[in-house]
Amino acid sequence: MPFAANRRGFGQDECPLRIRCLTCPAATLAAALLAARAMLCWQSVPLRCRTTARVPEEAAAGPAIIDPTDHCNRVVAEFERSSPNPEPGLFPSPWPGFRGPHRNNRVPTPVALAETWPTEGPPRLWQTTLGDGHAGPAVFEGAVYVLDYDEERRRDVLRCLSLADGREAWRQSYPVQIKRNHGMSRTVPAVTPDAVVSIGPKCHVMCVDRLTGAFRWGLDLVRDYGATVPLWYTAQCPLVDGDLVILAPAGRDLLLAVDCRSGQVVWRTPNPDGWQMSHSSVVEMVFDGQRAFVYAALGGMVAVAADGPEAGSVLWQTRAWNHRVVAPCPVQIGGETIFMTSGHGAGSMILRLTKESGGWEVTSTRTIDKTVFASEQQTPLWVEGLLYAVLPKDAGTRREELVCLDPGGSEDVLWGSGREHRFGLGPCVWVGDRLFLLDDHGTLSMLAVNREGFRLLARATVLPDGRDAWGPPAFVDGLLLVRDSTRLVCLDLRQDRT
Amino acid sequence: MAVCGATLAAARRGPARRTLWQIDPAACVQCGLCATSCVLPVSAVKCVHNFAMCGYCRLCFGYFEADAPALNAGAENQMCPTGAIQRRFVEDPYHEYTIREDLCIGCGRCVKGCTDFGNGSLYLQVRHDVCVHCEECAIATVCPTQAFRRVPADDPYLRKGAAGEGT
Repeated sequence: MPFAANRRGFGQDECPLRIRCLTCPAATLAAALLAARAMLCWQSVPLRCRTTARVPEEAAAGPAIIDPTDHCNRVVAEFERSSPNPEPGLFPSPWPGFRGPHRNNRVPTPVALAETWPTEGPPRLWQTTLGDGHAGPAVFEGAVYVLDYDEERRRDVLRCLSLADGREAWRQSYPVQIKRNHGMSRTVPAVTPDAVVSIGPKCHVMCVDRLTGAFRWGLDLVRDYGATVPLWYTAQCPLVDGDLVILAPAGRDLLLAVDCRSGQVVWRTPNPDGWQMSHSSVVEMVFDGQRAFVYAALGGMVAVAADGPEAGSVLWQTRAWNHRVVAPCPVQIGGETIFMTSGHGAGSMILRLTKESGGWEVTSTRTIDKTVFASEQQTPLWVEGLLYAVLPKDAGTRREELVCLDPGGSEDVLWGSGREHRFGLGPCVWVGDRLFLLDDHGTLSMLAVNREGFRLLARATVLPDGRDAWGPPAFVDGLLLVRDSTRLVCLDLRQDRT
Repeated sequence: MAVCGATLAAARRGPARRTLWQIDPAACVQCGLCATSCVLPVSAVKCVHNFAMCGYCRLCFGYFEADAPALNAGAENQMCPTGAIQRRFVEDPYHEYTIREDLCIGCGRCVKGCTDFGNGSLYLQVRHDVCVHCEECAIATVCPTQAFRRVPADDPYLRKGAAGEGT
């Protein structure tokens, strides 16, 4: 009515019928009766389906339980040696932790790789059985380190295997009650010339001597630092920075630096906002010459200073990236630009940092839909200004395709691998100029990839009847370590195997 | 003679085996048409659950919306528009999810979440105790992936999982 009145030139409060509707008792009564009748008519229409009240029931969430028998300390640790330590031999290069030597899943190859494979796939040097899970291996001087779970003895087990033949040299373990929850183990240890550091499914951190396997120190991030075990257990892989281990308990403290030799906390970052541990891992970045540790928690993303007296203090934080499940790590794609992605509908985001007088400002400059670019578990590869990832299963027609995105370019990806080439959750490693991708069922593909597209060089089933092959691979001197839920295999990709 | 031959051949084959419509879970893409295309007021297609395949996750993507504000039974967190999935805490970290078929409308939203991010233990089936057995099934005619197919009436379900247990 006011709109019509205005079009006829009447004032906002002036009715052409000279009736002040809302203050007229008769009109108000008529309107109320009309509304009541409409409501009755609506109520009398039978519902096509039944409904039920849905209200929060906290009891359904279940209590957070710390099993009294779970411990990671010198008293309960058990060491077993089976054979002498492996020799570096032909394989001296390291893969010292999660995503390789530079934590970017890229490595050059010192040896020529086979151009193609026989039908049965590349030769398998050895295979070993693992507990159900997705934990990836780290390699140092011919020794493979993997944090396994021994379901029979109910212990997290750090195993040291020979890269040459897979035999076990030693194992160090501690008791913890783990029930199968889409697998049990799911982290990669960090290895230095001196020590091996692991994080177990229930947030137990263990440091052992690299050569002797002797227990050095242990932490329980739940008991000691108030961490919450993430859904489907811990996937955070420890970051070693010089003499320090950088951890993100996201409990009472958001981040911690622990001295690798003594186990003493060197610095800590408070967690006033109560952010929680995600499946992501801490990564190192440099902003305007300042080194920082960046972590994508459940709640938001934070960067803390890595060096000097300010180490551990917050450089910037943002809630712009805050999702229920976060597994990939942040990727620095240029000086002050960070790319972040997740699965489960989150899509991706580009964040830009600008230095203000009061510190760093973080702004989201681009959000990307889950059907264009996202990754559920693996961190995207950043190669020559382009991002590569395997899309999650909720990406519509492009689900599980390998895609290539120019983050500074068009809205859509440059290309997708097409419906004939899907790669599950896409554990991958970029070696030299080739990309190795494993699908959920243990089929390994070798691709030549660039801005224009990809070329399939070879494909073979390396884990027959494979299930949930999600663990991150490791590559050392022509050997590729891949796993499915219960097997770790070492493949020889070299051209000359003599 | 030819007619007699055909009759004899048919007699040898025995009576024609009765068939019914069913959804092939491997071909279903959870488009949502099952909920809206059935001739019944509430679709005869229901979600069924293979417990043997389920991961019993605390965060079930068949039960919860992606990025649900909280992991509890509040309506704002649930994927199901009618609250047809009951969630029960079993023991840490397991939760059991049970379909209430009297509430299920066969929209397949839970099936999509479970298929995308879970073990795929939730899937859609025509419930033959509800279905009125149209010969020309209204859903089958619109199914975009031809997931509807005829199955023997004495074994009218296409069970998911190797052993087909728990459906």
